[in-house]
Amino acid sequence: MGLIDKWLRKYQDDWCRECGCAMEKARKQLFAMPGVSVGHYTEHKEPEFYRKNLYIVDKKADIPPGIYACGAIQYRCPECARRVTVLAPFLPVRDEEKHEGSVVFRGGELDDFLWQ
Amino acid sequence: MKTDQVKKINYAYLLSYSLIPLAVAALSLSIGYTFFRDGGTGAGICMFIIPLLAVLWLIFAPRNIYRLGKKRMVKQLDEMGIDRRQIFYSDGCVVSMDIAKGKIGLLFFWNPFQVQVAPASRVSRAWTDDGAGGAGFMRGTSRVSFLFELDGIKIRVNTFISNQRWKMNDEKVLEGISKADLWVQVLEQARIQGGGV
Repeated sequence: MGLIDKWLRKYQDDWCRECGCAMEKARKQLFAMPGVSVGHYTEHKEPEFYRKNLYIVDKKADIPPGIYACGAIQYRCPECARRVTVLAPFLPVRDEEKHEGSVVFRGGELDDFLWQ
Repeated sequence: MKTDQVKKINYAYLLSYSLIPLAVAALSLSIGYTFFRDGGTGAGICMFIIPLLAVLWLIFAPRNIYRLGKKRMVKQLDEMGIDRRQIFYSDGCVVSMDIAKGKIGLLFFWNPFQVQVAPASRVSRAWTDDGAGGAGFMRGTSRVSFLFELDGIKIRVNTFISNQRWKMNDEKVLEGISKADLWVQVLEQARIQGGGV
C-alpha cells in the first residue's frame, strides 16, 4: 500500500478506517438550514444543532436565497457494514455553491433523524 | 427622523466637511507665512500642526461620523419601535427593514445625521447587480450590490467591493451575490407587505 493510499484510507471520509477500503454511498438527502443565513455560518459538530436546524427539501431551488443548505450522505463499508454520515453545509448561490467543509458522524448520532 | 423624500447627500455637510478644514489650513499657512517667517513654536503650529490636523480630519472624520451615525440609527429605530433585526451595514449606506410594519430605515454616508424611515410600499423595484465583466478567463467582478428605487431615487448598497477583479465563483463574490439576492427578496417581501405595487 502506497503512502497516498495510506493517507486516503486514514483521512478521507468515504474510506473505512477499520478495513481501509472505499465505502459506498448508501443514502443521500438534501436539507435546508433556515436558521443559518449568509454571513452567519459557524461550524457546529454537535448533533443537536443539526436536529434543530435541518429541514428536508427536494431540490436546491426550494431553498430561498441567502439560506444555507446541507447535503447529507451516508456511507456504508462493504466489508464490515460500518456506517458513516457526512454532513456538508454549503451556501447555494444561483448555479454555484460555497462549501464550508464537512462534519462527520461515525457513531450513528443522527441516523434516526436523517434517515427517518 | 424623516419620512419625506429620501436624501442621499447632505450638501451642507459635504461642503463643510471638505471646505472648512481646507480653509482653516490655508488660513493657518498664510498666518504662519506672514507672522512667523523666522520659525519657532508659532510657525510649527501654523505651518505644520494645523494643516496636519486638517488633513487628518479629511481622511478620518467622515468614516467616524458615519460610524457614530450607525450607533445613533440603532438607538433611534429602537425608540420608534421598529424591528431592526434585518439590518445591513454597507460602506455607503445602512439599510434596515421591518417586514411586519413595512418600514425601511436608511442612513447614508454623506448624510450621517439624518436617519430616514420610509414605508416599504414606496420601493418600486429591487434588483441585484453582480458587476460581472470581461470574457472567458478574465470574467469577474470587483463590486456586487443590490439596488432599489425609493420614490424614483436609485439606492445602491454594496455587499462586496474590492480594488481588484475577482472570479465570479470566488467565495467572497458568491457571498456578496447571496447577500444581495437575500436583500432583494427582503425588499420585495416588505414592499408587498406594505401594500406596494
